[in-house]
Amino acid sequence: MLRTTINSLSAHKLRTALSVLGILIGVASVIAMISVGQGATYDIRSRVESLGADLVTVSPAFRVGRAGVASTQITETFTLELADELSKAPAVRDVVPVIQTNGTIKYRDRNLQTTLMGVTPAYPSVVNYPVARGRFFSTQDLESYAKVLVLGSEVAQQLFPDEDPLGKEVVLERAGTRFLFTIIGVMTSKGQLGFGQYDNRVYLPVTTVARRITGDRTVNFYNLRVASADQVDEAIAQVEFILSRRISNPEDYRVRAQQDIIETVNQNAITMTFLLGGIAAIALLVGGIGIMNILLVSVVERTREIGIRKALGAKHRDILWQFLTESVFVSTLGGVMGLLMGVGVAALIASFSRWPLIIPSYAIFLALGFSLTVGLIFGVYPAARAARLDPVEALRYE
Amino acid sequence: MSPLRPLASQDGETMGELFHLEDVTKVYKMDEVEVRALDGVSFAIQRGEFLAIMGPSGSGKSTVMHLLGCLDRPTSGRMVLDGLDLLKASDNQLAEIRNAKIGFVFQQFNLLPRENALRNVETPAIYAGARRAERVRRAKELLERVGLGDRLFHFPSQLSGGERQRVAIARALMNDPAILLADEPTGNLDTKTGEEILALFQHLHDEGRTVVLVTHDQRVASYASRILHMQDGRILRDERVN
Ligand SMILES: Nc1ncnc2c1ncn2[C@@H]1O[C@H](COP(=O)(O)OP(=O)(O)OP(=O)(O)O)[C@@H](O)[C@H]1O
Ligand SMILES: [Mg+2]
Repeated sequence: MLRTTINSLSAHKLRTALSVLGILIGVASVIAMISVGQGATYDIRSRVESLGADLVTVSPAFRVGRAGVASTQITETFTLELADELSKAPAVRDVVPVIQTNGTIKYRDRNLQTTLMGVTPAYPSVVNYPVARGRFFSTQDLESYAKVLVLGSEVAQQLFPDEDPLGKEVVLERAGTRFLFTIIGVMTSKGQLGFGQYDNRVYLPVTTVARRITGDRTVNFYNLRVASADQVDEAIAQVEFILSRRISNPEDYRVRAQQDIIETVNQNAITMTFLLGGIAAIALLVGGIGIMNILLVSVVERTREIGIRKALGAKHRDILWQFLTESVFVSTLGGVMGLLMGVGVAALIASFSRWPLIIPSYAIFLALGFSLTVGLIFGVYPAARAARLDPVEALRYE
Repeated sequence: MSPLRPLASQDGETMGELFHLEDVTKVYKMDEVEVRALDGVSFAIQRGEFLAIMGPSGSGKSTVMHLLGCLDRPTSGRMVLDGLDLLKASDNQLAEIRNAKIGFVFQQFNLLPRENALRNVETPAIYAGARRAERVRRAKELLERVGLGDRLFHFPSQLSGGERQRVAIARALMNDPAILLADEPTGNLDTKTGEEILALFQHLHDEGRTVVLVTHDQRVASYASRILHMQDGRILRDERVN
């Protein structure tokens, strides 16, 4: 029986190859898409997770349109003093107030637009982001409004391509005013986090920023480290309680745990994976229709052969099987080749994007199962048509 | 079901009625037009007969053969094969009869173009569910018997008309059928090859098979024990010879 299948498939090599190709592309894209979705998710998640699941961020809510008024009220409350207040929450270990502003950093003839991050000495431990070389600034630096700064790894590389930045003096320029700072450290490389580009920033004492640079004690947000990982919910409740005494409308601020962000990322990733997989499934469907099309042509073309086989005693079932075998053979061949190609493409993308190659086993079963089903479903109709042919009519067919 | 059972055990009785047709009609409907290919045909065929069907073109000879070959059902009338009412038989029953009881040799050979001679001969046994080794052995034997032992792996396109016809005959004999039907088996052949083929049919008849031939050729008919003359879808004359 299989011999008959191979015989008739090899009689039309190009045609068979094209049907196989249709399924191959479908299966390959399903595999590649799912793998890309999974790889990207893993990548984002591991970066978010690298901040630590027990990180909580308190920020003013986004206000659009009439923002001016409401926003001002809140930012007025968001001060360095509130940081001390928040750190009284028992479930909170550390609070880092963050003032974020833009500026230019200059060294000799080089200059770089960058984000200035006013933070406290607890910052590296709170966001899980250690110093690579030199040191982070101390409480003393903080209290003395010291003009010291720590460079993000990218900044260090761009500004000091072939020099040691430690101990060098740089000029910070913001809104036309210049300040002279001394570099005391360089951070480790953290990689890009979507929203937070840690490596492209410069870190300096928050007090220095408030007094010397912005002249304003209001803070953009607070990073909080919870005392222990299982106290996240408690910490959030305590922080919200403290804030509620200061800010009447709970809509005006947001307290977000890193965990929630991870969950959001996961949710988005699932959506993305299914979306990509869905698009790829359509490709597979199109491949299936291709098989059906070619089988239908082949049934018409082989009407006489079917007549002969029936005359020799082939039953309805035998002819049905013959055509179904062909269609399933083609789709399975396409499925297996598509699987290999999909894995290859996924591996290529993964190596370019430097994320791990993840091919979930369900993707393999899905793709192979789907291609088999496509072969069956789209083979049944042409096969049934072939099987139903009347022997005498079929034999008369020219 | 063993398709390769020896001929002797197949039907214990050598005599008796094999086919029985009564007032059989076959009407082809083409859009509005009706073609009465058979118009009230009645006759019987005994086991072991050598019957020739003759008649002008369009008289309904092939139509009768298709009915006898269980490739088609009558439009009306009664038709019985071996006690089985063919009008009531299912498609699968007919397929089984075609496979096990009947060997059909077509006018245009009707070989499977993408299979070699051996595979062509094997095919009826494939549908009978025979084992491969047994199949191949018997197919080779049959091809040798029709003088094509050295053409096993030739494809139909690589064979001459006479060779194709002999492959078709070997194929018809594959499941050792009791009935052999041939629609103008010599129509496409030269005189000498035609005579060889006819001698083969004669021999197969001598082995105990029921043989029905359609022919235009008076000489061919002389091998037969009975000639059915047809015209306009009716039987004109039922002639016993020898
Ligand atoms: N499938 C069909 N559809 C319509 N008409 C048909 C069909 N098959 C046969 N006929 C008609 O039935 C009549 C008998 O046809 P049949 O093939 O039995 O003739 P025949 O005796 O075998 O002729 P020939 O010697 O030329 O082969 C013819 O008029 C033919 O046109
Ligand atoms: Mg005819």
